[in-house]
Amino acid sequence: MTWIRRNLFRSVWDGILSIVFGAIAVYVLWTLFEFVFITGRWEIIEVNLLLLLVGRFPEDQLWLVGTSIVALAFWISAASSGSPKSLDSQPSLSARILDSVQRFGLLSALGVLLILLAGGITPLYWGLAIIGGILAGLGLGKTRRSIAARAKIPNLLWHAAIIAVPITFIALTLSLSTLDSWGGFLINFYIAIISIVLSFPLGVLLALGRRSTLPIVRVLATTYIELIRGAPLFVLLLLAGVALEFFVPTELAPGPIFRAVTVFTLFTAAYVAEIVRGGLQSVTQGQTEAGKALGLGTSKITFLITLPQALRNVIPAQIGQFISLFKDTTLAGAALSVLEVLNVGTAITKQDDFLGQGYIYESLAFVGLLFWVGSYVMSRESQRLEKRLGVGQR
Amino acid sequence: MSSLPSAPARVPLWRDVRVLRWAFQLVVLAVVLALLYWLYGNYQANVAKSSIPTNLRFLDNPANFTIPGNDLDQSAPVRDAFYQGFLNTLQVAIVGIVFATILGTLVGIARLSQNFILRTIAAAYVEVIRNIPLLLLLTFMNLAVVLQTFPRIEDAWLPLDLFVISNRGIAIPWFTGSALVLLGIVLVGIVAAWIVTKIRNRISDSTGKPAWAGTYGLLVFVVIMVAGWIATGNTFTLPFVDDRATAGGFRLDPSFFALLVTLVVYTSSHIAEIVRGSIMAVPRGQGEAADALALKPSAKMRLIILPQAFRIAMPALGNQYLNLIKNSSLGATISYFELTQIAQITVGNGSPAVPAFTLTLLVYLGISLITSLIVNYFNRRLALVER
Amino acid sequence: MKRNVAFMGALAAMTLVLSACAAEADTTTATTTEETTTTETAAVAGSVLESVKEAGVVRCGTRDALPGFAVLTEAGEHEGFDSDFCKAIAAAVLGDATAVEMVDLETADRFTALQNGSIDVLVRNTTWTASRDGGEAATFMQPTFYDGQGMMVTAGSYESVGDMNGAVVCVAKGTTTEGNAALESSRLGLNWEVRSFDETDLILEAFIAGQCDGWSSDVSQLTGFRSAYPDGAAALVILPEVFSKEPLAPAVLDGDTQWAQVVNWAILATIQAEEFGITSANVDSFLTSEDVSIQRFLGVEIVSDDGSAVLDPGLGLPTDFAYQVVKQVGNYGEIFEAHLAPLGLERGVNSLWTNGGLLYAPPFR
Repeated sequence: MTWIRRNLFRSVWDGILSIVFGAIAVYVLWTLFEFVFITGRWEIIEVNLLLLLVGRFPEDQLWLVGTSIVALAFWISAASSGSPKSLDSQPSLSARILDSVQRFGLLSALGVLLILLAGGITPLYWGLAIIGGILAGLGLGKTRRSIAARAKIPNLLWHAAIIAVPITFIALTLSLSTLDSWGGFLINFYIAIISIVLSFPLGVLLALGRRSTLPIVRVLATTYIELIRGAPLFVLLLLAGVALEFFVPTELAPGPIFRAVTVFTLFTAAYVAEIVRGGLQSVTQGQTEAGKALGLGTSKITFLITLPQALRNVIPAQIGQFISLFKDTTLAGAALSVLEVLNVGTAITKQDDFLGQGYIYESLAFVGLLFWVGSYVMSRESQRLEKRLGVGQR
Repeated sequence: MSSLPSAPARVPLWRDVRVLRWAFQLVVLAVVLALLYWLYGNYQANVAKSSIPTNLRFLDNPANFTIPGNDLDQSAPVRDAFYQGFLNTLQVAIVGIVFATILGTLVGIARLSQNFILRTIAAAYVEVIRNIPLLLLLTFMNLAVVLQTFPRIEDAWLPLDLFVISNRGIAIPWFTGSALVLLGIVLVGIVAAWIVTKIRNRISDSTGKPAWAGTYGLLVFVVIMVAGWIATGNTFTLPFVDDRATAGGFRLDPSFFALLVTLVVYTSSHIAEIVRGSIMAVPRGQGEAADALALKPSAKMRLIILPQAFRIAMPALGNQYLNLIKNSSLGATISYFELTQIAQITVGNGSPAVPAFTLTLLVYLGISLITSLIVNYFNRRLALVER
Repeated sequence: MKRNVAFMGALAAMTLVLSACAAEADTTTATTTEETTTTETAAVAGSVLESVKEAGVVRCGTRDALPGFAVLTEAGEHEGFDSDFCKAIAAAVLGDATAVEMVDLETADRFTALQNGSIDVLVRNTTWTASRDGGEAATFMQPTFYDGQGMMVTAGSYESVGDMNGAVVCVAKGTTTEGNAALESSRLGLNWEVRSFDETDLILEAFIAGQCDGWSSDVSQLTGFRSAYPDGAAALVILPEVFSKEPLAPAVLDGDTQWAQVVNWAILATIQAEEFGITSANVDSFLTSEDVSIQRFLGVEIVSDDGSAVLDPGLGLPTDFAYQVVKQVGNYGEIFEAHLAPLGLERGVNSLWTNGGLLYAPPFR
């Protein structure tokens, strides 16, 4: 009772606000509930689920995608459970389970929803395979931990995970004859990951160049960064759509996904450069001075002392940049007609069975759900990571 | 006493740090120039092969299209169309920035409120909007809200008989008469209000009693506005439906409305986070001192916390404003005639693509540059002058 | 910040200087040529014809959802008026009507796809205009469909275009319809609000929702969309006024005259076949015809007193290309009947010149 009085009815004005906004909240929640469970016509999603998730990916090769997801789940869970337990991990099993539910509940719920929408037994098998992969990874990590307790071996599992991700993607890419048959949510992920991976070295180079004492290098780097940061991504994509073939010999004739990845890489590199530059600035002068005192050359100081600390400090900002890149991949659909998930979402409402009946709500709600769960989970993980790394506290 | 070691022999050229630095820079420059030269060479070769003009002469060609809500004649040159597009971009950007800041600040303050419901609603708003792509929100506003939810013009909603809402746009009451006259009255009002505020402030300084300077100034401003408006013989017009169009009032293009609302909602969620962070960054002592002075919560927020919070937030806010301006380019996907849409249309009508889009990029660069200059100016003005 | 001003200024200046330099290399005048003389029958090295023969497919730019002209069926095949002409070109050049790669293009990309070489020919209900000939580096061929721009409205809303005062007219971005609609509006003093959309299905959505009073496009397109309208074709009416000439013609890239002629004569073969009365069903019976002009047309050996010979006009096409076109695809009339007649389009000006229409093929000799 005191809780209600303190939180909702502190004063007359407060009370009025509570009632008004409470009513609005109830109305909104009820409309949402009604839309999702009662009046929503979800056949459009069920029929087109494959199109939404993987586009026109050849159906007989879908097991490749499934296998990649299982492999990734295995390696990521192995790496994360292979690290020694942090000091503030909860001792009791129930608390640990609660923690896992908080972390992965949304993702699992989404997975269950997808399996339900897909219907049939194959998605269920794949779901079980993914769970199996995660458990196997947990087992591997635990084994490594118990071995490490006795013999000092470094946590190679992280290295393995970091290598496994690009290898999986490369294997996926090379196994298909044409990248242009990919689509759906898969291509959003794919473009985002490839772009962030490729843009990272370029961004680090640009950041170093911008802070360099060599004037020409600084001018070049700053020009590039300021130019890209002042330009809208949409216009850059449009320009790439018409201009890229003029700048490369006609034999290379890039397809839309190649163009999208190029533009995203060049675009993200400028933003990564700014983030890394902030990280470099956050490393105290004392570190460089200590390096100089040890007689190290400038490049050695940068690559052995400053850069590792800087990069570690900006991991949360990097993840934030990845999330916003992930959301921006929808622009590739609008500018270059890549068949990514939002493009598919609007296109399926124009199929013969669904035209003109207002299916856009259901379609956009589903696409929005996919993006929201992805971004939300990633940003929450980034916050956890930030807390664990103690960024800004030491 | 041992003698000092002799000066080192001259360092050979290939180990001299200064030489190495410059050599490295020249190599980098040479590589970049070679890359640019190769790209430019390819460009020229490919362009010559396809005989497409690469100069800016296309700006003189007739535009061959009209812009809704505008008097652009369809035989006007393309550069006029670009100019109109530029103005439309500015229009949505300025209005968007104003509304986004207001809404974002309100939501940011609400997130820190003592009221549980307010806090939760604000948190939900921010968390939901921040995690969905802007294009999705824009598509939703355009296809779902404007096209599906808003009624056809024959069944338009007429809330309060003041507005006309349909999927052809939103008509609001608007003043009649020339904008110049309005501007003149506004200026007169501002000057008079400023004088009155100053007088009241002086009175309050000398007598020590509150003299409500701000309220007096506002009152004078409003009175002058209304009186001046009526005196010059102008009134308001109310919109009404007239055979599938709205007559009277001022009609907001449906695409403009959709783009504006999307930009405002999206940017305000980011601004809310920034404002919340900056309010929390104001030193606790300030809030405690305000409480010690028995200031009301609204006065505390208005006089102590918010001004300091804005000073902290200014750079991040400037960044969000730049983002809003750049995001306005997505108006091209919902056929709002801003700069990118104009560029796409002229390219489809035969203008060469690379110069047109490069021109568009340069204009956006210019707008971004000017905005960051303005923001930096305010930043410097507001910056704390340390002892 | 001052440094940034300098950068921006320098960059802007640099771009303008580069554009000015490019202006000297401006080649808006004559197209570059790789002229082939009429006696050469082999393909010129590096030409489109040779690359098509090497690749074994004709890359045809088209679209996937215009009823009657080009529709992507469930089976993944393109079917329609334009698609058939793509197949005719493939049948003529490669002898196989299925040796065609259909590349779906958005309206905004169709000319850039041609310019950068990702397609060999554009058969996508594109209007032939002077500025496209000049400014888009395209060369237009024999028009396959003489069309006009019309206006489609919901049944009962307007009687004629002149009634549409202050109406909202929706068009597709980057098409001739945009300029024509604006021109028509100012000519008739009607004060239209012309809204342009990226794709035709966005126009369809806006039209269904009532955001547009009228939808202006080529009459053939309007007929196609009307037939596929969810509320039924009777809910829409195409107003009688036609306010521009819209000759729809295939296009190839400037500069390769041989390829242009190849495409042109492949199209003309269908028209000439209809004039001779040759259809895909009876073409085999015409192989034994005694008429010299038919013999020349079908590439049959012509026996004369001096010996026998087959007509080879030196286009770079096989001598029986017309036979392949008619046999595998059909003559113009068949193509029209198969795809456009079901929509309700009449032959009108698209009849043979012998029937008062505009279709006239130059002689095959």
